[in-house]
Amino acid sequence: MTEAVLEKVQDPFADAPVVVDMKNITKRFGTVEALRGVDFQVRAGEVRALMGDNGAGKSTLIKVLTGVHTPTSGQIIFDGEEVQVNSPADARELGIETCYQDLALIPLMSIWRNFFLGREMVTNVGPVKWLQRRKMAEQCRDSLKDIGIHIRSAEEKVGKMSGGERQSIAIGRAIHFGAKLLILDEPTSALSVKETNKVLDYIRAARDRGLPVIFITHNVNHIYQVSDSYTIIRQGQSVGTYLKGELTQQDIADLITGAREK
Amino acid sequence: MAAISQPSTLSKVRARLSDYSEVVVLISFVTLFLVFAFTTSNFLSLISITNILTIASIKGIFVLGVAMLMISGEFDLSVGSTLAVGAYVFGILMEHGLVWGGTQLLPAGLGGFAMLSALLVASLLGLVNGLIVTRSGIPSFIATLGTMLAFRGIARAMGNSELAKSNSNADVIRFTGEAPPLFGWLNGNIEWLNQMGTPAGGARMAIVWFFALVIIFVIVMRFTRYGSWVYATGGSRDAAKAQGVRTQRIIIWNFVITGLLAGLAGVIQFASRPAIDPARGEGWELIAVAACVIGGIWLEGGFGTIIGAAIGMLLLQMVEQGLILAGVDIQLFQATVGLILITAVISNTWLSRT
Repeated sequence: MTEAVLEKVQDPFADAPVVVDMKNITKRFGTVEALRGVDFQVRAGEVRALMGDNGAGKSTLIKVLTGVHTPTSGQIIFDGEEVQVNSPADARELGIETCYQDLALIPLMSIWRNFFLGREMVTNVGPVKWLQRRKMAEQCRDSLKDIGIHIRSAEEKVGKMSGGERQSIAIGRAIHFGAKLLILDEPTSALSVKETNKVLDYIRAARDRGLPVIFITHNVNHIYQVSDSYTIIRQGQSVGTYLKGELTQQDIADLITGAREK
Repeated sequence: MAAISQPSTLSKVRARLSDYSEVVVLISFVTLFLVFAFTTSNFLSLISITNILTIASIKGIFVLGVAMLMISGEFDLSVGSTLAVGAYVFGILMEHGLVWGGTQLLPAGLGGFAMLSALLVASLLGLVNGLIVTRSGIPSFIATLGTMLAFRGIARAMGNSELAKSNSNADVIRFTGEAPPLFGWLNGNIEWLNQMGTPAGGARMAIVWFFALVIIFVIVMRFTRYGSWVYATGGSRDAAKAQGVRTQRIIIWNFVITGLLAGLAGVIQFASRPAIDPARGEGWELIAVAACVIGGIWLEGGFGTIIGAAIGMLLLQMVEQGLILAGVDIQLFQATVGLILITAVISNTWLSRT
């Protein structure tokens, strides 16, 4: 164990089933070893923060899980079964929803079109997939309302909304469709304090619905507020996983930068 | 300080208008129409209006494809060459049938077969474009600049090949038989309309096909999943992919549709003017891009409408016709188009700046 442990904390998720179990994941890009045998677990009902400096490998690890990258070696067990995630579509099929930092929404399109993009409700008219526009607009508005996000009109273009509003739409969409796991990639990095607090509220709302969340960030302050546990990655390797309360913010910062070694 | 925090009336109007990409082209169209109507005699005559509509419709048919491609974030500079190849296939099969190795494999004048062959070949050229762009990852601007030259070469080669050997006029294919009913359907005169004025109008069936296609494309873009995916592909390709939109497939299909429409335009044009030379359609690829940009479609993709592009094409043709009637040197037409293009883009950019 590490010296960073301040006290022994009761693990509230000790008995919770493991939703995702990534074992000994390596990923090589040419000669660069981005991931060097990382183990990573998420358990039902927890908000797990995945932390690391830029280039530490946290995004690569998540992209392996969401099918953007194929791992060079390693094993992914999802809901108790070994799975191959070869494309983002595979990940979705499994019930893994991801909000990417800047790839979340298409600014020039309306809220409801964004909300249902790639999963449109359609009426098949021969080969033509006719959009059920009104139904989607209504369901989008209702579903966002359920998690406390109020929009003026589902027809509004996403590009005309603030950064925080956009982020909440993206999270709302992920909660709506994400049956089993929600991944948020730097959801608060470009937001004001007020907007950040809202987004943190949505993360709590997701957890309260029993949805496990992976929260990727390098903002120690944000994860301290909502996360149940932290995994810290440095130079393509896992430094360790800690429970809430085991580390101070300073400990976390030191572990991220490597100012303190294991 | 309330005056500063309140958005001005101008910026409010601008914000409202910026949702409608056709605003600039619509205002320009109406303004120029009025200018020509009041300053140029004969502009408001039946023959002038129907001429504008007919010629704009033939070009407008492939402009629809180019517009959809541009909305999905891609260019097609090869439409003019594809049109020529389509017209050659159609013309050769109509005039000579299929001749190979000295034997007549198929007789001349099989209209339906000739048309389907032309459309098929043009679609395949579109498929080639789509595959090059999606598989190689090079920008479509460059890829289709290459195929523009390559397809033009194919058109020239066809005109000189054994397929067209019985033609005395090198390169040029001229249909010498009696025009089949198919020609009338494709681009015959609309007599009832043309007889409504003196001199008689020049309205042809191309107008009907163009307007029908505009309606179909507007419906596809607004009301179907395909249209939504086209906008998503152009709006933010990676975000669309992340949401499971099959962007590669959309791009390939858009190229195929554009090729098909270019071929159709070639066939329709041949049906009213049954001769084809190797320079047919040269420069039209840029007219198409100009029509789309004037019509409010963004060069980066993701924004703009079919209606805008269609009005853009009508506007360009109206300006050409209007300047001819006004007795202005035809050389000035291109200068005018350039001016309109730049003004339209500046206005569109100003509108969408938020």
